[in-house]
Amino acid sequence: MHISDGVLPISVAVGGYVASAALVAWSARRTRSEELPKLAVMTAAFFVASLVHVPFGPTSVHLLIPGLTGALLGTSAFLSIGLGLLLQSLLFQFGGITALGANSLMMGLPALACGWFFQRYKGRTQLQQAIIGGIAGALGTALAAIILAILLATGGEDFFGIAKIALLAHVPVIIIEGVVSAFTIGFLARVKPALLQPAFTRSL
Amino acid sequence: MLMANIIHIQIPFWQLFLFILIPVAVMAAGAVWLRRIVHNRSVPEEDRDWSVPPLTDTAGVSLFHLWDVRCKIITILIYSFAVASLKHLTPALVAIGISLMILMTARVSFAKVLLRLLAITGFVSMFIVVMPFSVPVHKGDTVLVFKGMAWLGFNLRGLRLAATIAAKAVAIALLMEPLLSTAPLPVTLYGLSRLGVPEMVGQMVLLSYRYLHVFRHEAGRMSSGMQVRGFRKRTDLTTLRAVGNFIGMLFVRSFERTERVFDAMRARGYQGRFPEPAELRLRSRDLLLAAGWLALGAALIIYDRVVW
Repeated sequence: MHISDGVLPISVAVGGYVASAALVAWSARRTRSEELPKLAVMTAAFFVASLVHVPFGPTSVHLLIPGLTGALLGTSAFLSIGLGLLLQSLLFQFGGITALGANSLMMGLPALACGWFFQRYKGRTQLQQAIIGGIAGALGTALAAIILAILLATGGEDFFGIAKIALLAHVPVIIIEGVVSAFTIGFLARVKPALLQPAFTRSL
Repeated sequence: MLMANIIHIQIPFWQLFLFILIPVAVMAAGAVWLRRIVHNRSVPEEDRDWSVPPLTDTAGVSLFHLWDVRCKIITILIYSFAVASLKHLTPALVAIGISLMILMTARVSFAKVLLRLLAITGFVSMFIVVMPFSVPVHKGDTVLVFKGMAWLGFNLRGLRLAATIAAKAVAIALLMEPLLSTAPLPVTLYGLSRLGVPEMVGQMVLLSYRYLHVFRHEAGRMSSGMQVRGFRKRTDLTTLRAVGNFIGMLFVRSFERTERVFDAMRARGYQGRFPEPAELRLRSRDLLLAAGWLALGAALIIYDRVVW
């Protein structure tokens, strides 16, 4: 779920732009410059993955995948997510041009946290990688939902109710996202373990 | 006597359903109607894909096609923030009116404008359905209370707040097509880079956009392969597992493709730049238009804060 125009207080919208611009710059610095075109192509793959719908009872939910993006891209994930959201706002129907910075923070910060978490605890065995990947996937969506609720709540007490409902609405997505991420990471651990190392990150 | 200033209006319990069902029904009908119009109008043959650079220098016809792209980006961005900062319903409705008039002059694809509106319906309708019930009751509010359910009040102030948010979202969404589709995408991105955004950003947007379609096609082929082998999506663990493997496979194939794409780019002499797509000239009428429009935005804010 992305925040649309006109919801956030103007100071939060501008602050979101400033903070996410700084994080994008940092994330780009941490990416080897010759890898940027590859990162752009990989962003397209994450974008397509986020369009996948999973049935949930009578309706269906689509994946948000901040956790998976973070696990696969490490510190480059923020740049990738900012790019994906810019693309979505420019070329697909979703505008949200004033909320672009806030939306980048909402998806990008969880990705950074999950990337760190996954690299720190992934271990060696395939099973452990799958389990940690699943936790990272669920954590990513949960953090995104919490940031969404906090951003909505900055509008004042009139927005507290809707922030709570937005948070609750994410609970099924968190569970589904965790399970799917566990299977995806398990699959990659078997098929192409090299992808589980952040490929584009500048080594320190 | 604490709540003396709050106007309570008692209405029968069964009307509660009207207050939930009517907004839901109106929103759903609107979404279906938009989708049908878009469906009937989509794939217009003469509508050129504006993400592709123009081969000939055929500028469009409207004021927007002729406007300098840098001025256009800055003006619409600042104006959008001005609209987003409005606090009252009437100025927000005026902003929708202004956006509609701008749409008329910009001569953009009507179907694409509708698609953009369709994309925000979900988020905006959540506000319209939820906010009347969720906002706290203040002095001077009018609350519709249902018999036997005193805890659930339909607060008209909440409805007004949600309507203001919806109006601002629509007013800004209507401006996206005049902003983006009145110039080819490479030109818009070039304008951004001339405004100080690093050139790499524009290149990455172009590359992502190009491969997005490749990967979408690939995902489509993979999913029809799965369907041919008898896979049907259900709410169970097997489905989640299949989706997990599907995404994993998508990443493996995409990652391998990134290497080949980059090799091919280098083989064609890529050294971190694409050729410049257009020559930008800033004329006085570009600035005049920008100044006029920004004055309009300032007038809206004054109307919002002072007159109201």
